[in-house]
Amino acid sequence: MTLRSESPALDLRGISKAFYGVKANDDVDFELRQGEVHALLGENGAGKSTLCSIIAGLYRPDTGTMHVYGEPAHFRSPKDAFAAGIGMVYQHFRLVNNLTVAENMVLGNADLRMRYSDVDIERQTHEIGNRYGLPVDPQARIWQLSVGEQQRVEILKQLQRNARILILDEPTAVLTPQESDQLFRTVRQMADEGRAVILVSHKLHEIKQVSDRVTVLRHGRRVGEPVATADATPRELAAMMVGHDLVLPTRDPNEHLGDVVLSIQDLRVRNDRGLEAVRGVSLDVRRGEIVGIAGVAGNGQRELAYAIAGLRRPVAGTIALDGVDITGTSVTSRIARGIGYVPQNRLGMGLAPGLTTEENLGLKAYRKPPFSRGPFLVPKTFKDVGAQLIDEYDIRGVRPGLPIRLLSGGNLQKALIAREVTQQHSVLVARSPTRGLDVGATGAVRNLLLRERDGGVGVLLISEDLDELLALSDRLLVLFEGRIVGELTSDEADPARLGLLMAGHVEETA
Amino acid sequence: MNDSVLILTIFAAIGLGTPLVFATVGEILTERSGVLNLGVQGMMLVGAVAGFWATFKTGNVFLGVIAAIVAGAAISLIHGFSSVTLRVSQIVSGLALTIFGTGLSEFIGRAGTPALVGSPSRATFSPILEGGIADWPIVGPLIFGHDVLVYLSWLVVAGASYYLFHTKLGLSLRAVGEDPASADAAGVNVTRYRYAHVVLGGALSGLGGAYFSLVLVPSWQDDLIGGAGWIAIALVIVASWRPWRALFAAYLFGAAGRVNFTLQTLEISAPSNLLAMIPFVLAIVAMLVLTSGKRARLLGAPAALGVPYAREQR
Amino acid sequence: MTTRRFVVQPRGLAPLRVTLLVPLLSVLAALLVGALFLALTGNSPWSVYSKMVDTAFGSSRGVSETLISATPLILTGVAAAVAFKMLVWNIGGEGQLLFGAISAAGVGIWLGDGTPAALAMPAVILAGAAGGAVWASFAAVPRVYLGTNEIITTLMLNFIALNLMNYLVLGSFSPWRDPESTQFPQGRPIPEGARIPEFFNRLDYGIFVAVGVAILAWVLIVRTRWGFEVRVVGDSAEAARYSGIKVPRKILGVFLFSGAAAGLAGSLLVAGILGKMDPRSLDLGLGFTGIIVAALARLNPLAVIPVAVLMGALNNAGPALQSIGVPSATVRMLQGAILVFAVAGEFFIANRVVRPEKLVATTPATGDAAA
Repeated sequence: MTLRSESPALDLRGISKAFYGVKANDDVDFELRQGEVHALLGENGAGKSTLCSIIAGLYRPDTGTMHVYGEPAHFRSPKDAFAAGIGMVYQHFRLVNNLTVAENMVLGNADLRMRYSDVDIERQTHEIGNRYGLPVDPQARIWQLSVGEQQRVEILKQLQRNARILILDEPTAVLTPQESDQLFRTVRQMADEGRAVILVSHKLHEIKQVSDRVTVLRHGRRVGEPVATADATPRELAAMMVGHDLVLPTRDPNEHLGDVVLSIQDLRVRNDRGLEAVRGVSLDVRRGEIVGIAGVAGNGQRELAYAIAGLRRPVAGTIALDGVDITGTSVTSRIARGIGYVPQNRLGMGLAPGLTTEENLGLKAYRKPPFSRGPFLVPKTFKDVGAQLIDEYDIRGVRPGLPIRLLSGGNLQKALIAREVTQQHSVLVARSPTRGLDVGATGAVRNLLLRERDGGVGVLLISEDLDELLALSDRLLVLFEGRIVGELTSDEADPARLGLLMAGHVEETA
Repeated sequence: MNDSVLILTIFAAIGLGTPLVFATVGEILTERSGVLNLGVQGMMLVGAVAGFWATFKTGNVFLGVIAAIVAGAAISLIHGFSSVTLRVSQIVSGLALTIFGTGLSEFIGRAGTPALVGSPSRATFSPILEGGIADWPIVGPLIFGHDVLVYLSWLVVAGASYYLFHTKLGLSLRAVGEDPASADAAGVNVTRYRYAHVVLGGALSGLGGAYFSLVLVPSWQDDLIGGAGWIAIALVIVASWRPWRALFAAYLFGAAGRVNFTLQTLEISAPSNLLAMIPFVLAIVAMLVLTSGKRARLLGAPAALGVPYAREQR
Repeated sequence: MTTRRFVVQPRGLAPLRVTLLVPLLSVLAALLVGALFLALTGNSPWSVYSKMVDTAFGSSRGVSETLISATPLILTGVAAAVAFKMLVWNIGGEGQLLFGAISAAGVGIWLGDGTPAALAMPAVILAGAAGGAVWASFAAVPRVYLGTNEIITTLMLNFIALNLMNYLVLGSFSPWRDPESTQFPQGRPIPEGARIPEFFNRLDYGIFVAVGVAILAWVLIVRTRWGFEVRVVGDSAEAARYSGIKVPRKILGVFLFSGAAAGLAGSLLVAGILGKMDPRSLDLGLGFTGIIVAALARLNPLAVIPVAVLMGALNNAGPALQSIGVPSATVRMLQGAILVFAVAGEFFIANRVVRPEKLVATTPATGDAAA
């Protein structure tokens, strides 16, 4: 293949792709020039990941054409894309957890000899890591690595394959602000070496910081022409992304701060591997406030939420609700006492995917009348209450008899929260409640949480999304390696300070 | 010394264990690709009847073996299509294969004229490497004097082990069974690997079945292999998905299946119906010990075992 | 232009005609495959199939024998349907049926001739259900409390139960063996009083018990709180724990119910048509056929009833084929093929295969944004 310098690295025309009958990409054109960092901007569900997966050969478009360095390309699998010099770092890493770093590096590589030795591939891995200043331990298994290290392996893997076009899908979603800065330096360096980089993001400041041009997607379609990043203001980009000026709801100062409703003392909880993941957490939540728990994923958030919901028995410490110790009580009893819980895994934990929407809405109230009478269910109650909640919380896409899993993410979350807040409750624990939702649904969910707070409920918001935390929390606690390493009021909190705390830099107390 | 009860028992265990070795290694390769195939019993029976039929027709036992391998591989495609392409429940699909294979083998065994049931065996495998070396103390009777399929089974074990852990294809195979999405993104063709190893498992199961109809029994009757196919599925777990361990586990179960014979040698009488339970009880005990509680995780089952993979599923 | 020719689109809920058509086509496809094998072995598929229909439904005696064959299949079908629906892989219907038969015959023999029928008959029938549940518990308890893989344990228990039954009658002089049968060992008959009365040729009232259990299973699952909890567990154990449902207890309950249903099949045979524990008449693969019934009925306990009649008809027709020189194993092959196609058919119930331009929206594309 002759490299013509004038031809773009990538040229996509009229790409369409549908899932479940919904168009994720609709007649999208996209051009990537050699040596540029091209940001692909759009909110959740706009079709960015689908477009990238098509470029990477993972999905095949329903219609459309693609040219790579001027040559027509018809990828049937990621293998074809590699051969054309395209590598992708997926949002959810595509690394085999039980294999070593070195094995993952060579997996699927056409250059690997049929009979290889572990020593050889480990040496190669070591060398390439050093060459790019991204050191990794070749013998470590993936599950032993931190998220940042795993991302390093992903990038090295693409570099080892001499990817000339590199796609990074939401690479900073799992990183601290400081790790993100480091990543952007690497990205810039790769572009300067002549590679073309696609950076997928919905964070405007990142795009301003690192990219040369921006293409915006909305509802699967491209919005206007690509723009030079330098010529666009964040406000303009946001408007292109959302379609109109839309301001997300944020908190007003809380006025009716009540008594402590949830009190946790010296809580210690083990994770699935039997190691202590929550290591001595104490915190109070008052009625009428939202307490945010910030932290990088995997620092004990899951275990903390489980312990409060009664899904995991703590090793030590106490949990009290309205002054009553509930540490040893069952899930059912906590539901009855008024702890609402919006888990991170909304479909599969918060909702039973194969049951209908009405059944899911009754999932916590079914034990008592009017949902059941004696040992028998009362189908009419499910139907009536379901219809009322579907209407009141604007849950769309519900059809009789259909399993709830067919609803969109935003509607799932509205159904879940609707059920939780219509139970009699005084505490609401919510984990990453707006993750993966588009702006409209995010606004609706935020409003629901704020309404709860104003109604006198104590809300514990556990999230990895700093924007969400900063917009909603009255107080912020930072969780690092199972401990609370800092507490900030909403006035003191800013991303830089939070980022440092999240990375474990404990502030000197003056 | 070489006719001690222990040596004789081990020799007999190798005989009864050999079909288990073939079937277990086959199922290990299939499961390493992330596909659970509960059709082993059916594939073995079809292999057994096909092997006996071909030998009966041609008088050539090697053609019988080839027929068994081809038949096992062919019928395994049913499961491959259902579980890999159609992505239906692998458990139910495997059971379907066993039930169909069992019925088909019985039909084939009785439908022709003359019927295979009750027909004499026309050829079998005889021991090789006999004579002087086979009389060496202890190792002689254990290593020499078996038939050629026993040696083939050892080659299969060694080959499968090398393949899995020291070759590029083996690395890709393990990745497909652990995490098909990542393997796919790395450029490994998940569908092709899964099909290939379902078929490989079918071929080895067919061969294992033929060992019953051509060597151990040797003749054809309904349900010739007892529950050997199910035992093989349990052995995969006992062997924690590793071929060498499968070899020894198969011989252990071979010995358990031959307790009858051992007790006879010792002139102890016991009810044969109760003795026949021993391998099955042993399998339950093994499951209780190995797959219970926290130990299950240490076994190293392929993480994606039994989970269909659809690239474009969101 | 890289336009794709076909696209697989998951359905939310298949229309009723599809759910009915697919199992029907599975049976037809299996008959075609069977015809192929019959033709290959020099038999006329037409005469074989018409002989089967005639045997199973051609006379009042044929119909009653078909229903007799269907009775245990309703129960083993319900056993598999209820368990599989909850992702409890009880492949042990076979062993549970046999141990149910052992228990039923044991209780019948122990009660002896003096016991009044009003007591003996229910005792024998319930003993079968209890026996099946006990046999299932050997796999259920380890599964629930230790996480032991139940596929393998239930399978192994099948072989143990089979050998136990053979031992009791063929391999020893246990109370289950008829002391008068020395040359050809037979099971000892249970007292006449414990036998279920016949009402239509040899068909006895046991079939109503079987149908009743199928209806009961449906009501339990669809209409009760317990059934709701069980459905949540079957759909997502995580969601069940999250909403306060005690998952182990539900799985145990389903597993034991499944075992009891299969065990009941054993006791209805002993107290009904057989009158004793007869190893040759019980080792027919009824447990495995129950899995076929359940799959073809798409795990719906009510649909199990007609499907069991169909499978019963096949079982009933098998031996008659020998009179025209065709092995009765033809039926087993056909049943296996039906299951193979029914399993594959699930794909077409779950998905539509369409041309890209015919894709229809199953969810509103703008549900979020408009909110």
